[in-house]
Amino acid sequence: MGYSLSTEALSEVFKHLSLEYDLYAPRLYPKGGAFSDTDLVRYGKISSPEEIVLHEKSRFSWKETLLPISQTLFYFTEGSVLEPEQEQKGAVIFLRSCDLHALKRLNHIYLQNGPEDPYYRDRRDKLRFVLIGCKEPFSSCFCVDMGTNKTDGYDFSLDWEGDFWQIDCPNTEWQELFRRHAVCEQAVSPSYVTETKTRVHIPDHLTADVIKSTIWKEYDSRCIGCGRCNFVCPTCTCFTMQDLFYTDNGKAGERRRVWASCMADGFSDVAGGGSCRKTCGERMRYKVLHKALDFKMKSGFQMCVGCGRCDDACPEYISFSHCLNRLPEAIKEVNSDEAE
Amino acid sequence: MDINTKALKKNAFRVTKVRGKTASRIRVPGGHLDAKYLSMIQEIAEAYGDGTVHLTNRQGFEIPGISYEDMPKVNEMLQPIIDGLDINQPVLGNGYSSSGTRNITACIGNKVCPFACYDTTAFAKRIEKAVFPNDLHFKIALTGCPNDCAKVRMHDFGIMGMTMPRLEQERCVSCGACIKACRRKSVEALTTVNYRPQRNAEKCIGCGECVLNCPVSAWSRNPSKYYRLTLFGRSGKKNPRLGEDFILWADEDSIMKIILNTYHYVEHYIDRTAPGGKEHIGYIVDRTGFEEYKRWALKDVSLPPEAKICTPVYWKGISYIR
Amino acid sequence: MKQNEYVPFLSEIIEVIRHTEIEYTFRMKYLGDVKPGQFFEVSIPKYGEAPISVSGIGDGTIDLTIRRVGKVTNEIFERYEGGRMLLRGPYGNGFCLDDYKGKELVIVAGGTGVSPVRGVMDHFACHMPEIQSLTMIAGFKSPSDILFRDDFSRWSQRARVILTVDSGGGTEYREGLVTAYIPGLFFTDLANAAAIVVGPPAMMRFSIQALKNRGLEDSQIWISLERKMCCGIGKCGHCRINDTYVCLDGPVFPYAKGRALID
Repeated sequence: MGYSLSTEALSEVFKHLSLEYDLYAPRLYPKGGAFSDTDLVRYGKISSPEEIVLHEKSRFSWKETLLPISQTLFYFTEGSVLEPEQEQKGAVIFLRSCDLHALKRLNHIYLQNGPEDPYYRDRRDKLRFVLIGCKEPFSSCFCVDMGTNKTDGYDFSLDWEGDFWQIDCPNTEWQELFRRHAVCEQAVSPSYVTETKTRVHIPDHLTADVIKSTIWKEYDSRCIGCGRCNFVCPTCTCFTMQDLFYTDNGKAGERRRVWASCMADGFSDVAGGGSCRKTCGERMRYKVLHKALDFKMKSGFQMCVGCGRCDDACPEYISFSHCLNRLPEAIKEVNSDEAE
Repeated sequence: MDINTKALKKNAFRVTKVRGKTASRIRVPGGHLDAKYLSMIQEIAEAYGDGTVHLTNRQGFEIPGISYEDMPKVNEMLQPIIDGLDINQPVLGNGYSSSGTRNITACIGNKVCPFACYDTTAFAKRIEKAVFPNDLHFKIALTGCPNDCAKVRMHDFGIMGMTMPRLEQERCVSCGACIKACRRKSVEALTTVNYRPQRNAEKCIGCGECVLNCPVSAWSRNPSKYYRLTLFGRSGKKNPRLGEDFILWADEDSIMKIILNTYHYVEHYIDRTAPGGKEHIGYIVDRTGFEEYKRWALKDVSLPPEAKICTPVYWKGISYIR
Repeated sequence: MKQNEYVPFLSEIIEVIRHTEIEYTFRMKYLGDVKPGQFFEVSIPKYGEAPISVSGIGDGTIDLTIRRVGKVTNEIFERYEGGRMLLRGPYGNGFCLDDYKGKELVIVAGGTGVSPVRGVMDHFACHMPEIQSLTMIAGFKSPSDILFRDDFSRWSQRARVILTVDSGGGTEYREGLVTAYIPGLFFTDLANAAAIVVGPPAMMRFSIQALKNRGLEDSQIWISLERKMCCGIGKCGHCRINDTYVCLDGPVFPYAKGRALID
């Protein structure tokens, strides 16, 4: 069902939801940017609709509300292991279509690839999703080409139109709540973009053979291996385990996992020294082919959702979407080398 | 030709080596201006000067080849620039007023530069409004970060931006980028403790490299602005020397006060017989002793708790006097 | 919360065997099913968790051979008997012994690569009728790096064992790389040969090449890969190569599949 609500009325709805859920949305962190006197937009708790930043893309995706950047798995002492209390309160996440599509990618790794991850499962089941409609794409977006511009997996949607919030609420549990606060009920369909300025075409005949292409070499000198592209990505899921020892004998402490980046040093190190991918070009190739090929081979669907955050975040102006568009050239190169 | 050269100098014109010709000196506080003023400067140079403009060491323009009799007309054409740059002007329409206190210079600051910790031009203009015009010989410069591109340690007052970094522990991914940047580019103020950076506040110079290099925004800048204030660097024919640290983690208001207090101190202690009535402040401090200067400088100054006063201060430098 | 794969269990340390200055085998109490080539995530005090191959399987015990890393002191390793360690696992596919039954099996291993194949050797050395012939070529850097010294002399009574060191062999040990002994391998029926190769990347690459030169097909070769497996359950991503997760799909691969894995 669809509803129109004033900002005041939606605030009341938020107040009601807040009893049971924390509300997470892209919000402003004034002067939170890396450069002085710049702001940062990222996910954080909100209490009113005005706090949601609509005119700008959040630098980091919503995934940190589901997969904490740093998460304690358990505490250990000499004879026992103690799991930390999990947050009981649920969360309502405000996100755009591309980001909601990322959920399916996260689920694939954490619920389907090998045994279920209990921490993920617990948190996942407590999340509800609010779709923020997109009237215009941002310049780096390429959701249409990735098929992630539309979604129906939301609990309710949110669009600002004609001085009112237009809401589509398929979640029957919340329909009464909206009905109580609506100025009118009418069919609402969330807005979505149908074309983007950035275009991407991943070739259908892409195979792992492009590993042999020379296009990756360019990134050896351009990429600085900082990992920003991974950390802002809604579909990157890698982590590293850390053991903290509270005592000198190493028998009491805690184990946590923290986000990891396949672009940064250390990711592919093996015991006894050595690293599987030393150069940034190799790491770029590893990342790009995971997003555009390897993940799909395993799951049947593309990993990248076309949010464009990696392009926005790269301090060296390396464009992931541009790299994807170079793949046909790489295929051609590899094929012609093999023909010789 | 009868020219009052003292009055002419106070009006920001120069006695040049060419008899009958003067040069107009246009100060740009903070070194940043709307591009439209450039065409006005061009017009003056082409109408009354020799068609050339010099970019000065202190971020101004100097238009040479102006006949002395054209000074009023030049002043008239300067008025929109003076108004536009919001220059303190004792007599409206009478051109720039020049003085012992030199143009306040600034690096490009955080309008453009990623390293800068503050808006250098805005702070320069604030000081300009408080001290100009003034006969006392003060040189003040501002730079955005400890890189000191503006070479503020060559000035009586050097103002260097500092960032107080803060770490949101739970966002840290232990990538080590901050630690590496601090070690390679700065002072190695960060060490790893339990996979996360620990900042040595004694060592940290507030360059902000940790914040700039953090890929997850775990490091951010304390929104308060902090500055390193250096004192009494100078060039010249006796004893050139670099300015020394006076206050670390100072705030903007305190710096304003210290500068104004220093004007009072100099007025009180200056050698009135000095050539041209000008004496570098450092020589005065050499005479009165640093403690006396400090007493004047810190009058009614309330620094933030994080501020660190360096005392006593000793200067090194090169002495040409043998 | 549901069954938590990340939570380790305590296992008693039955015995600690010191092989070299830095390498020790911990014989741990373990009652579940486990195959050679599988691995456990072992919580090493003062260090953290590390994937360790099962180097031996006994009656209610497993062996875990651990190389001392970083600044971890001897003390931890030597005062442990009777103590307990946190483990989780076993993870990975391990070697399927049926693949080698009735074959002329050659095992080529380098350094700690001997660990994952030790169980395979042990099994066939005790069940010789299950196999046509059994050869092991094992290489170590120097005599002081040799692991499982006693095993080699035990195995050599039943199987052909070539133990070689890179240098410093003196009169007691052969010197040279494992690859030097591959061309001279004897097979009664080449089509019935099988080979397992485990060790450092370069050693594996050259050994596989030598085996192919000797006439073995890709389909007759198995490998076991060592990667940084943080979680062991397909989540952390460190061990992924292409669409393969070494911790889930490996670490043992038929070479026909393994050769396509490019890091």
